[in-house]
Amino acid sequence: MSISVLVADDSRVMRQIVIRTLRQAGYDWDVREASDGAEALAAVRAEEPDVVLSDWNMPNMTGIELLRELRRAGFQTPFGFVTSEGSPEMRATAEAAGALFLIAKPFTPESFREVIDPVLA
Amino acid sequence: MTATTVDHDQVHAIAQEVFAAMVDGDLGLLLPWDGELPELSDAVVAWVDLLGEWSGRAVLVTGHGTAEDLARALLGLADDDEVSREDLEDAFGEIANVVGGNLKSLLPNHGTLGLPQVGSAVPPLAGAVRVQHLPLSWRGRLLVVDVWFAAPGTLTTPGGNR
Repeated sequence: MSISVLVADDSRVMRQIVIRTLRQAGYDWDVREASDGAEALAAVRAEEPDVVLSDWNMPNMTGIELLRELRRAGFQTPFGFVTSEGSPEMRATAEAAGALFLIAKPFTPESFREVIDPVLA
Repeated sequence: MTATTVDHDQVHAIAQEVFAAMVDGDLGLLLPWDGELPELSDAVVAWVDLLGEWSGRAVLVTGHGTAEDLARALLGLADDDEVSREDLEDAFGEIANVVGGNLKSLLPNHGTLGLPQVGSAVPPLAGAVRVQHLPLSWRGRLLVVDVWFAAPGTLTTPGGNR
């Protein structure tokens, strides 16, 4: 059975890069897209994916607000950040909110596998 | 208060890493610009603000044709594929965003990163000083990376304004 992923990023270009990198990393997943946190929240409510990959900094609702809102609403959907800032402070904030991982941009197929493989196993 | 700064080599390393991972797949294609800087009559500017107890800004400047080629590279398009203005701004803004995010990760202060913006000129940032200015060559074409900081105690480094 194929894994379904929701990719949330306000940049269409970055969503395309994330989706391409997932394929290059060997993950042949069913992909849906959301252009901000609010759209992603609605997409999860409509049909919960197996995993959410989300940017942090987005208009309307940020990635961390999305994660907190999902957990508050009872969704335990596996959640990872793909964000341009990977400071220890942000990693700690992400983890405290329930994120499984944080992939810092720029990334490569190898960096996707390094982070995603252990949590999929 | 801690002085907030980044050095020339750190900025170059970040830009190189961003281009290698997102654009080229090769670390060696973003080099220091050699010689006189050409006039960019059709400049495209992308910037992202760093906000906190200090303010800062990462700015990228290049020519329109170069920004189009960067968008093609990011989107995996062919050399003769059309690039919409929306995709050009999205792609170049995202490069600035990733450069800015990585710069912010080097800084000790807590703060937030703004959303990337793109235009033909960058608006002034009140009280800011340019702490780094890197004219770079991407495949022989000019791409400038500037870093600005505005804060009490902001220092330029010996590598600044080269």
